[in-house]
Amino acid sequence: MDAWIEFAKGPLFAVSFLIMILGLGRHLFLQLDGLVRRKGRRLLKAPWRKIFTDSLSWVIPVRHIVDVHRTVLFSVSSYIFHIGVIVVPLFLADHIILWERLLGFHLPKIGTLLADVLTVITIACLLTLLGCRLFVERQRGVSRVSDYVLLVAVLIPFLSGFLASQPQLNPISWRAMFLIHLLSAELLFVLIPFTKLAHIVLFFFDRISQVHWQLRPGAGDMVSETLYGKEAKV
Amino acid sequence: MDRTRRIKDILWLLTFFGIVAMVFRFYYGLGATTNLTDNLPWGVWKILNMVAGAALATSGFTVGFMVYVLKLEKYRPLLKPVVLVAFLGYGSSLFALLFDIGLPYRFWHPFVMWNEHSFLFEVFWCVSFYFLVTFLELTPTVLERFGLKKVQHFLHKLSPGIVIFGITLSSMHHTSLGSLFLVTPQRLHPLWYSPRIPLLFILSAIGGGLLMFIAIKMFYDYLQCSRKPGYTCSSVNGNPIKKSDSDQKEDFLRLRGLATIAAWVLGIYLCIKIIDLFWTGAFSSLFSWTWESFLYLSELLFATMLPIFLLIHPRTRKTQSGLAVAAVSGAFGLALNRLNVGIFGYFRDAGAIYFPSLAEWAISLGVISMAGLAFFFLAENFSIFDERWKTRHSQPLQLSIGFDKLSMVWKSVLLSGVDRVSLMAIFIIPIAWWTMYPPFQPDSSLPIHPPKALDAERHVLLIDGNQDGVATTFAHFEHQERLGGKESCVKCHHLTVPGDHATPCSRCHIYMSEETNIFDHTYHLKAVAKAEELTGIHPENNSCNSCHAPDVARSGTTAKNCLQCHDEDMHPVDAPEERLALMTATGYMHAMHKNCINCHREKAEEVQNNELGDCITCHRKQPGSIKFPTLLAKNHLHLN
Repeated sequence: MDAWIEFAKGPLFAVSFLIMILGLGRHLFLQLDGLVRRKGRRLLKAPWRKIFTDSLSWVIPVRHIVDVHRTVLFSVSSYIFHIGVIVVPLFLADHIILWERLLGFHLPKIGTLLADVLTVITIACLLTLLGCRLFVERQRGVSRVSDYVLLVAVLIPFLSGFLASQPQLNPISWRAMFLIHLLSAELLFVLIPFTKLAHIVLFFFDRISQVHWQLRPGAGDMVSETLYGKEAKV
Repeated sequence: MDRTRRIKDILWLLTFFGIVAMVFRFYYGLGATTNLTDNLPWGVWKILNMVAGAALATSGFTVGFMVYVLKLEKYRPLLKPVVLVAFLGYGSSLFALLFDIGLPYRFWHPFVMWNEHSFLFEVFWCVSFYFLVTFLELTPTVLERFGLKKVQHFLHKLSPGIVIFGITLSSMHHTSLGSLFLVTPQRLHPLWYSPRIPLLFILSAIGGGLLMFIAIKMFYDYLQCSRKPGYTCSSVNGNPIKKSDSDQKEDFLRLRGLATIAAWVLGIYLCIKIIDLFWTGAFSSLFSWTWESFLYLSELLFATMLPIFLLIHPRTRKTQSGLAVAAVSGAFGLALNRLNVGIFGYFRDAGAIYFPSLAEWAISLGVISMAGLAFFFLAENFSIFDERWKTRHSQPLQLSIGFDKLSMVWKSVLLSGVDRVSLMAIFIIPIAWWTMYPPFQPDSSLPIHPPKALDAERHVLLIDGNQDGVATTFAHFEHQERLGGKESCVKCHHLTVPGDHATPCSRCHIYMSEETNIFDHTYHLKAVAKAEELTGIHPENNSCNSCHAPDVARSGTTAKNCLQCHDEDMHPVDAPEERLALMTATGYMHAMHKNCINCHREKAEEVQNNELGDCITCHRKQPGSIKFPTLLAKNHLHLN
């Protein structure tokens, strides 16, 4: 077991993390490349100020959550989930050691209690999201298999990490739980650049979609034709 | 186009592998990267990339000589491709050498600091100047596309002069490359060592270089054209360009003409080589059937006999495949010859075998692949083999919209060059890193690991000294608080390494039950000399008297006590009178037990709790330990 942990902690972590970094970097490069190549000088005339303020208004999206589609639970838990998913993996005291080994400098750390509370909240939000997608018909309709798989893939590292840090709750041995935590997190690293989790970097480009998109009239019909054949209409 | 794409993908793969190896070669140095030794210091970079690479690129000056000096106008269409091959061959050789020299940033030194007694000095000058020559010869072709007519004309006027300068340089450095091996008559195997090795080198380079060029040209044509009758060649957008039969025939005859010249040169080379064997008296070892003799025979077979036979025999002489086999065999034989002279020939004397490490292969093949990619780029974008770039850019780019059923988007990704290559990169770079320089290798030389913590702040430690999976949990933070906060560290961490604050126990108590000598005498020699500012050629020799008394025999018992100097940076709990006691550390288990049990027993009486001094206080099932320790009774024997 120790050899496995050493392996998962050392080379496997480095390789999977590098795949994620390079993969996300590639997305960034391709997006910027495409943007500059297609739009070029016209980028300067884009309404940057409006785009920026619009994006900022989404940082605290109270104004945007209107309960017309009965998705308030989904939206709120999604919002809270994102806070946890950014703060906990980055600033957890146990992870600071990892960052230090990989990057060579200290990040600020959060206290154990705050980390535990945030983790529990994050797990609860994840389960809520999963429940919404499973039991609310409207949301089940727009969910694909990958949506469920990805939620579970994010859930496992959080759950195993939490249990590994709480010996009194841990049903199996600490080493086994730690190994599960490592391996599931590494699987997530590799998944990130190739699934919709790539929105870690791509969401910046969604925000400027007014600039980015360049659809010809009738483009929607062309897409549906390509996807479903000539008869289909949007 | 599909074939070219596949070849390019392989080249990119090798290139990425090479780039990773290059970065780490500079980071870790030669010793960690290569399998080279003092006995066999010339490896694959020098011999395969440089010596063989330069030899395979000789077609540049031979064809130049034919066209500009002998006025064989028939070969003029081959001038541009030949210059490209020479440029890339020499460029990649020099680039590979950059990784081979110990201090790469001093590569320019031979330009300024002359050592005219060295063959390498001459080789360096000729090769770098010849590279410049090929660069100047290639420039007009590149400028043609950008329409810089004046510069182009100027360079065209210069070109005969440049070419003749290049021919001189080439013939000089190819003989010098052979002369390099003249300095090792005792080491090189007698089959290859000969005073005439410079002559043999230049002859084989001329013949083999021409065959190499033929192989490259035929391979390029193969990639561009299908083998169907009528010689349809696809252009970039898939619109076929018909090449007429007569054009094709003329192409073939031109290449065969070159091959015939190469065969003549190689024939002369073969004769000299066999006469030379009698001359040096090495003929007897040719049929000794050692593996050297096999290598020698296969080298002769591939480099000379097979190509000559294929080009003489009336049936194979007329076919494309006959010419192709002759060309590939000749090029391979030439490379084998250089490897024999530069690497294999020294194995017998060294009594050892050299096989390149993975990183050496990666850099060697990576540099060649980069040259290959540059070759495709230049060939496709400038009029070197053909004028294809003109048609490519006049037609609008077709956007292919295709969805892959599985991934919905990947088909378009796989068709676009940048997308595909970057996708390859993000997998190949980590894998290359992992295979060549495994990151974060655990140091398995020390059997005992420092205690692991249950939590990040190390409030609760898991102490598993003998690594059998049974750990005791130790409430580190609680003990610290109880003993009086941070001031109390020295009560347990009795000896810290100078400048350190929390040296782990296992740093000194390395073995489970054996004692360890923790006094580094050699280090102290230098450190004391430095601290006391002693002088002399070897100041550490004067530092003996700083610790040892001058008139008695020097030993540990007569030396100073450690604490006489380290009174501030070491914190012994109970400063031992015995001098040697501080120089040894007891076994890990004894150290742990002695540290805990004495204190626990005292406290047991103080708080009237007898159990506090028992094994079970620490060795019990606790969160984090895996199984219940059953061998406590056995351990108990060791306690006192």
